[in-house]
Amino acid sequence: MVNANADALGIIFPNSYDDQVPDLVNERLMASIPFASRYRMVDFILSSMVNCGIGNVSIIVRKNYHSLMDHLGSGREWDLARKKGGLNIVPPYSEKKIQVYSGRVEALANVLDFLKWQKEKYVVMADTNIACNFDFKEMLNQHIESGADVTAAYTKQPIPEGVRSSYEKTNYLHYTFSMAGQKISKIFVNSEENGVQNVSMNIYVMERQLLIDEIKKGFVLGNKFFERDVLAPQTEKLNIQGYEFTGYQARIDDMKSYFDENMKLLKDENLDSLFLGNPIYTKVRDDNPTRYINGSKAKNVMVADGCVIEGEIENSILFRGVKVAKGAKVKNCILMQDTVIEAGAEIEYVVSDKYVTVSEGKQLKGTDSFPVFIAKDQVV
Amino acid sequence: MAKEMIAMLLAGGQGSRLYALTEKLAKPAVPFGGKYRIIDFPLSNCVNSGIDTVGILTQYQPMVLNEYIGNGQPWDLDRLHGGVHVLPPYQKASGSDWYKGTANAIYQNIPFIESYDPEYVIILSGDQICKQDYSDFLRFHKEKGAEFSVAVMEVSWEEASRFGLMVADENDKITEFQEKPKQPKSNLASMGIYIFNWDILKKYLIEDEADPNSSNDFGNNIIPNLLKDGRNMYAYHFSGYWKDVGTISSLWEANMEILDPEHSGINLFDNDWKIYSRNSGKTGHKITETAVVENCMITDGCRIAGHVKRSILFSGVKVAEGAEVEDAVIMGGTVIESGAVVKHCIVAENVVIGQNAVVGEMPHDGEKGVATIGSGIHIGERAKVGPNAMVNANVKDGEEEW
Repeated sequence: MVNANADALGIIFPNSYDDQVPDLVNERLMASIPFASRYRMVDFILSSMVNCGIGNVSIIVRKNYHSLMDHLGSGREWDLARKKGGLNIVPPYSEKKIQVYSGRVEALANVLDFLKWQKEKYVVMADTNIACNFDFKEMLNQHIESGADVTAAYTKQPIPEGVRSSYEKTNYLHYTFSMAGQKISKIFVNSEENGVQNVSMNIYVMERQLLIDEIKKGFVLGNKFFERDVLAPQTEKLNIQGYEFTGYQARIDDMKSYFDENMKLLKDENLDSLFLGNPIYTKVRDDNPTRYINGSKAKNVMVADGCVIEGEIENSILFRGVKVAKGAKVKNCILMQDTVIEAGAEIEYVVSDKYVTVSEGKQLKGTDSFPVFIAKDQVV
Repeated sequence: MAKEMIAMLLAGGQGSRLYALTEKLAKPAVPFGGKYRIIDFPLSNCVNSGIDTVGILTQYQPMVLNEYIGNGQPWDLDRLHGGVHVLPPYQKASGSDWYKGTANAIYQNIPFIESYDPEYVIILSGDQICKQDYSDFLRFHKEKGAEFSVAVMEVSWEEASRFGLMVADENDKITEFQEKPKQPKSNLASMGIYIFNWDILKKYLIEDEADPNSSNDFGNNIIPNLLKDGRNMYAYHFSGYWKDVGTISSLWEANMEILDPEHSGINLFDNDWKIYSRNSGKTGHKITETAVVENCMITDGCRIAGHVKRSILFSGVKVAEGAEVEDAVIMGGTVIESGAVVKHCIVAENVVIGQNAVVGEMPHDGEKGVATIGSGIHIGERAKVGPNAMVNANVKDGEEEW
């Protein structure tokens, strides 16, 4: 059979690191956080998988997943509405004795039967807190050529501030690698090291059978977390190799990084690094083009379709269907879908969630380091 | 399972009066309004009216149109029973025929229509910008007990002689049909949108085909024959926005009119009557520090660093710093380099306008020329394209084209 597809299935954990941005995940999960004017975080990793020929993707959801179901639908927009494989959203069973999973071992233990029946030789696993155009094919090829048991993607960078400040939270786990050549010799949990580290992206490739064996073993032992409980203790026993990702990435570690990573895309070179290459797919809304009415002013903005701009916008990201009325001023803001800024309102350093209204003449100001957040459906 | 009404969309027209724009694609596939193609309007009207079966009759340069329609999914027309079907002329055991006229195109697809066993068939044209509820039209047709109905628009008496006119009595019953008459007896212009009872349409198509002198056209043959036989024919008054975009100037005008939905009558910001299209999949558009944007429609993938005024920019258009764009319709993927001045014109897809080139000019002294540049053309640096030019070959650096 002619087959350009990768011999791998994808597994995405859409709830990972939800707790880092509590405001944004009030009614959603990490995967469905709006990003870059018309996307959701999951679009990046999902499109990357599809672009690399992965046509069988499971999304193991934990909670707050209605927005994600709505976004993904049948998976058609990602070319994943298929007879063979395609998109598979796995919700938790609501049984008293089975707790909603907290780590990947538990999550995967719930889908062992599914994993057993799949045909693909390899599995790739990823979270959704990093927006990037990821080349899974290259990583898979390296995995196969190197003969590794497990290959883990990492970036060379200092540990992000948002990560470091989260160590005191219970259940927060972050991984860095110590490398011997391409081999990962040690996995550190919540490292305090300064300077450039090998920072894990929590993206892994391994053989499906090995994953099944390790999950079975780990689950019996009461293990929760795949990296902490399965990989970290076995760096001697398993051949774990690193795959360095050198492309553009936008990591959401906290509200500040969410704000900054959006704003960084106002620079063309950043936007081009994230989007040039393989396309990123998202749900289509069929909005009309954006209309700039006489008297409007726009400077240094990224704006999606369906907006109507009568006022002034500057240094801002506008998602689909935003309305900025006459005399309103929007500066250094991120306005999510269908936000309405009424006449004469002035806002600066504001992140508005979907369907927010800022009423006529209101003024609202946050700061560079602490943007004001307005929750979904609120009227200010 | 029988369908109450199916649509047959005539999309075979060459659109020769659009010249450079329709050299490589059929008129219904011509881009319109920032992110649409003309055919999105009748297709969206069908879906919004509850019609889920549409046959598209193609003939001239069908490749772009075929690819664009695909399986019909963007219009929600990928259905188990019905959906959208592209119907080109085909070879039969007894030979093959091009579509000889609008009526012949339908005649050749009688088996397609029969397979849905419809009670009514609506005939649509693929070259009009219009938001119309065909279910309201059908309700009228049924209430009147009509065998044939035609949608008509009131036009001014001065213009009337340019149209096919329906003369109707106080009950909207059609008593006479005049094709582009010198002495108009009516100002009700046919929009070229018809509802037929299928049994009647089929009978007249078969009779028309048997007539060797017929030009196999709805306006010239079928409608006069219906009249002659005293059939129940009614005129359905439509009063919304309607524009036949068959010429460069009407296409330019219709594009400009979407900038002013408050006065022009066409509103694309209508959530109750969305116009669907195939999506470009590009990121939100960007407007830089140096840009000035006044009264424009801008869509995904655009990068604006220059001065853009009263213009429609399609997906992925780039306007460099120092470039000036005014009263222009710039189609997808076109790049306007720095210092270029682009005014009062239509620029097709994937054109490059070099540095300091001049394309078109603002009208003066009653001149209304709309400069037009065909798709994929390269306009060299410092080149000049006059206000009446129709450019379908590259213009070299510093050269002029009038």
